[in-house]
Amino acid sequence: MLFISLIRNEFEKTWRSRWIVFAVMAGILVLIAGGLYTYYVISQHRWTPPPAVAWQTTLREEITANQSSIAQLEKFKQQQGSGSSGGPFGRGFGVDEQIARNQQSILDDQYLLDHDIAPLQSFPLTLTALFALGGIVMFLLIRIFGWLASEQIAGERSDRTIAILLSRPMSRDQLLLAKAVASFLISLVVVVVTFLILFAMVSFIEGSVGPVTGQVAIAIDGNKPVGASNLVVMSIPEFVLMCLGAAMLGVLCVQAMSLLISVVTGRWAAIGITLAVLFGAPLVSAIVSATITLISGNPNNAHFLNYLFVNVLAPVSAIAPVFGNGPASAGTGMNAFGVQIATLAAWTLGFFTAAWLLFHRKQEAG
Amino acid sequence: MAGIVEVDRLSKSFGRVRAVHEISFSVAEGEVFGFLGPNGAGKTTTIRILLGLLHADGGTAKIGGHDCWTDHAKAAQQFGATLEQPALYGFLSGRDNLRLFARLLGTVDESQITELLATVGMTERADDKVKRYSMGMRQRLALAQGMLGKPRLLILDEPTNGLDPNGIHGLRILLRKLANEQGLTIFFSSHLLSEVEELCDRVVVLHRGEVKAAGPLSELMNVKGFHYRIDVSDVDKATEIVKSIDGASVEPGTIKDSIIVSSESDLARRINHALVAAGIGVDQLVRTQRGLEDVYIELTGVAPGSPLSAPPPPPPASPTMVKK
Repeated sequence: MLFISLIRNEFEKTWRSRWIVFAVMAGILVLIAGGLYTYYVISQHRWTPPPAVAWQTTLREEITANQSSIAQLEKFKQQQGSGSSGGPFGRGFGVDEQIARNQQSILDDQYLLDHDIAPLQSFPLTLTALFALGGIVMFLLIRIFGWLASEQIAGERSDRTIAILLSRPMSRDQLLLAKAVASFLISLVVVVVTFLILFAMVSFIEGSVGPVTGQVAIAIDGNKPVGASNLVVMSIPEFVLMCLGAAMLGVLCVQAMSLLISVVTGRWAAIGITLAVLFGAPLVSAIVSATITLISGNPNNAHFLNYLFVNVLAPVSAIAPVFGNGPASAGTGMNAFGVQIATLAAWTLGFFTAAWLLFHRKQEAG
Repeated sequence: MAGIVEVDRLSKSFGRVRAVHEISFSVAEGEVFGFLGPNGAGKTTTIRILLGLLHADGGTAKIGGHDCWTDHAKAAQQFGATLEQPALYGFLSGRDNLRLFARLLGTVDESQITELLATVGMTERADDKVKRYSMGMRQRLALAQGMLGKPRLLILDEPTNGLDPNGIHGLRILLRKLANEQGLTIFFSSHLLSEVEELCDRVVVLHRGEVKAAGPLSELMNVKGFHYRIDVSDVDKATEIVKSIDGASVEPGTIKDSIIVSSESDLARRINHALVAAGIGVDQLVRTQRGLEDVYIELTGVAPGSPLSAPPPPPPASPTMVKK
C-alpha cells in the first residue's frame, strides 16, 4: 500500500513538474506526422493512403531489381576489363563483392518466397517496431528518460525534500525502488504511445494497417545466407513484444545509470553528467574505435568497445536496419541482438546494484 | 522511565571536523525541550541523526526505544519534523504538498489536512503554488507537514527562520497549545534564546559538539548570586568604590552611566550606602535576574545568534524589581 502511494507520488511529481517535456515530445510527434503527410500530399498528389502492396510483390520486385543490378555490374566489369577488389567503390566495395551480395540477396528473397516467410520490414507493425523501438527514436527518447531519471533523487536533494522523504517511516530501498519503478512505467507509457502514433503514420504510408498475425523471420547470423539453419521464425506479436522488451531494457539501463548518478549528487550536476555520458560517450567511443581500427588495420581490435553500454543502448537496431539494403539479409541477426541484450542486462544490474549500495548508506548532511 | 528521545554518547565527524562528540541527553514525553547552541554547535547534525539522515560514528540515538538508523522505520513512526529550510515542492500547492507527504504515512485524511491548514493559518492560500509563498508561509506549511499523522514527537529545527515577529509569536502560542492540549512532545532547536526561554521546560546547551549544560530552564537560570544594574552620576568613581566592597565584582553597563555588579550575597544596601557616602548620585539600583542569555554566553562564549567567538558582552538588564 505504501509502495503504491510512493509510486503515485512519483507520477504526480514528474507530471506536475515536467509536463512541459511531455507536451514538447507530443508536439514534435504531431509536427513530424504533419510534415510527412504534407510531403506525401505534395509529392503524390493525393490525400488518401496509397494502395497496399503485398510483401511477395515487394520481394519479387527486389529480385528483379537485383538481377538488373547484377547485369549492369557485369557489363561495367567487362568494360573495365577488371573485376578486382578495390574497384570504383573503394576498398571492400569491389564489383565482385557487390555482385556476390546481390546474388545472395536474390537467394535470400527467393528462400523467403518459397517458404512463405515474410521479411522483417514487410508489415507496418514490424516496420514500426524496428523504427520506433530502435534507431533514432529510441536514441532521443532514451536520453530524455535518462535526464528525467537523473533528477529523481538529485532533485529531491536540491529541493531539500530528500530529508523529509528519508525521515518518514519507510526504508531507503522502498524509496529507491519506487522511483525506479515510476520512472520505468512513465517511460513505458511514452514508448508505447510513441509506437502507436508511429504505427498509425507507417500504416498510412504503407497503405494499410497490415496483418497483426502471421510470421516473420530473422537471420540468426546476419553475415551468412538465409536458410533453414539460419533463421528464427516468430509471430508478429512476439516480434513486437521482443522489440518492446529490448527497447525498454535499454531504457532501464539508462535509468539505472541516471539513478546511480542521482544518488550521489545534486540536480544540475546529475543532469549534466547524465547527458554528457549519453551524448558524449558514444562519440568518444566512435573516435576511439576509429583510431584503433586505423592504427591496427583490423576492426576486430576495437570489438571490445561493443560491450560499452552506450554502444548497445538501442538493441532493436541490431536486428535489422530500418532502411536496409535487402529485407532478408539486412541486419546483424539474432546472435548479435542476444549479445546486446546480455550486455545491457549486465550493465543494468551493475548500475542498479551500485545505486542501491550507495543510497543505502548515503549520508544526507544537508 | 526512558524518554521518548534517548541520546547516549553520540559522536559524529565529517572528515577531520568533529560535529558532535559523545553527547548524551534525553527528552521526556510531553515536555517542550529546547536544543540550544550557536551556529555550528552540532544541533542540526544531531537532529539529522535523529531523523535517520546521518549515521552516527559512535553512540546511539533512539526515538521511542527504536534506533534511529538501524530501526529507522519504527523510530520514524513516532515523530514529524521540520528542517532549518522548509522542504516543500514549489510546483505544487500547499494542500497538494500535504497530500503528497500524507501518502508517505499511508493514507490521506483530507479532514486532517484541512484542519492542519487552518491550525497554521494557511487556509486562504492553501491552493496557491508554494513557489509563490513567502518564507514565513513556507515555514508554517512545513510545520503542518510535520504534524501530519498526529505524531507523538515534533522535531523542529530553527522553525522561526524567516518568520516575522507576529509569526514568531503565533508559533509560540501554537506550540504551547499543542504541548498543553495534545500532550505533544516538542524538540525545539534554536539559537534564539527568547524563543527557548518563553517556550521550553528544559534545555540542553550545545557548544562545539559538546553538551555544556542540561536541565530544567528554571534551574539553569536560577543560579547562585545577585546581579544589579546601578545608574550613577560618575561611572569611574562608582566602579572604584564597588570594587573595594568584598565579594562584589563590577563591569561597565550597556546603558549609559551605569555599572553592572555581581555578588554571591545580597549587597544592595551596602553598595547603595557606599556610593551615597562617597557623594555619588545613585539614580537607580535594579536587581536583575540572570537570564538564559547570560547562562548561554557564559557557557559558550558566543553572543546568541552570532557565529563568532567574541568576548561576551555584558549581560543586559531585564528589570524584575526596582528599588529606590
